[in-house]
Amino acid sequence: METARLAVGIPLVVINAGESEPASRKDRFLCATRPHLVLDGAALLATALGVDEVVVHLHRAPGSPVGRLEAAVAERLRHCADDPGWRLSAGPDRYVSGESSAVAGFVDGGEARPRFTTLPLAVAGPSGRPTVVSNAETVAHLAVLARTGPDGWAARGVPSSPGPRLVTLAGAVTHPGRVLELSGAATVGDALLADGVVAPPAAVLIGGFAGTWVSGEVAWQTPFTRDALHCVGAQPGCGLLGVLPHGACALTETARIVSYLAGESAGQCGTCVAGLPRLAHAWAGLARGDLRRRGVRRMSALGDTVEGSGACGHPDAVVRLIRSTLDTFEDDVVRHLAGRPCRHADHPPVLPVPDPACRDGRDDPGMWR
Amino acid sequence: MSVEVRIDPTLCRGHAICALFFSEGIELDQWGFGKVTVAVADTPRDVRRARRAASACPNGALVVRDRARRPAGDDARP
Repeated sequence: METARLAVGIPLVVINAGESEPASRKDRFLCATRPHLVLDGAALLATALGVDEVVVHLHRAPGSPVGRLEAAVAERLRHCADDPGWRLSAGPDRYVSGESSAVAGFVDGGEARPRFTTLPLAVAGPSGRPTVVSNAETVAHLAVLARTGPDGWAARGVPSSPGPRLVTLAGAVTHPGRVLELSGAATVGDALLADGVVAPPAAVLIGGFAGTWVSGEVAWQTPFTRDALHCVGAQPGCGLLGVLPHGACALTETARIVSYLAGESAGQCGTCVAGLPRLAHAWAGLARGDLRRRGVRRMSALGDTVEGSGACGHPDAVVRLIRSTLDTFEDDVVRHLAGRPCRHADHPPVLPVPDPACRDGRDDPGMWR
Repeated sequence: MSVEVRIDPTLCRGHAICALFFSEGIELDQWGFGKVTVAVADTPRDVRRARRAASACPNGALVVRDRARRPAGDDARP
């Protein structure tokens, strides 16, 4: 933000409420139930940067809270004289179209695809203007911070990460899609307990589809803070807690996610286009029990090639998920490599992964507008 | 004089011509897409070769840019 303030030109401020993670609900939840909190925070950001217009970006998705935001904006036009001008933007509902450079590009009249940038967005976005893309949760928290003051804010977190955090529950929980606010050093276990899950599950996928699997026992005791998650190799990401029950196959779940993510490539960078479907194919083989040790080595080498090769972090995210699955479920991988049919492979799907086959118009060139 | 060398992966189509001209700074993956191994070229020879590679790319995917001058005393070769 400081970079954008010091950069040349009037900054473009975009609030990103386009929640790309299919299983995450926190931004939708905020915009639907606390739209004024999001807009208050956005107005504060606009004042700090000295701009008179803010764009709120959403995805054109079923259940998108665009109507609620429109109503909130109409209310503010009547009552809040100090507000910046509001513009709502509705973009395509694709996984990578929520990436910040994709959002910035779309808002600026281009395609909602990630861009190769040589300068940070805050220095020069697609329009040449310094561009700040801020998440809906972040600005909502800004509004909370302004109301409670720094001390009240700090009291709701821990010293290393002040303030509360939002998580979405998915998978084997009582209320999939439920959004919870965690404060202080609340653990993943506390979040699950609040939803009626009383014992550690087999594993938890933390941070989104591009996140990290952590074994249930470890995750249960881990506070949902950046530092604590880092210690177990995870990061908060979009705040997703995907719960894998005992008796389900993590490799099969991961296969569904990898295949979905491979289909969500923006189709721009060669290594992503060529590499992700091969990774998905190899992983599907592992999940079925068709892959041998040599195949896993080839898959890891392919992961090394793909990592860091794209304009955005999409390929890296797929590689991270694959590596974390290989690490966390070593014993399962060994069983699958032995070609023994996995006992749990027939378990019904746990995580709400969209079926790639159901995507309409995937090859339509106009789908990024 | 030093330059930053980067490949725009959204433009790279794997022609692999850059690796002919600037083999010491660019390696190719299994499909022929380039990966920069020398992100900052700072010898006159490397700078010349990086520039030639950039002008040879049919897609303009190789970006070679002068490095911003750093304040005095700041080591220009990290």
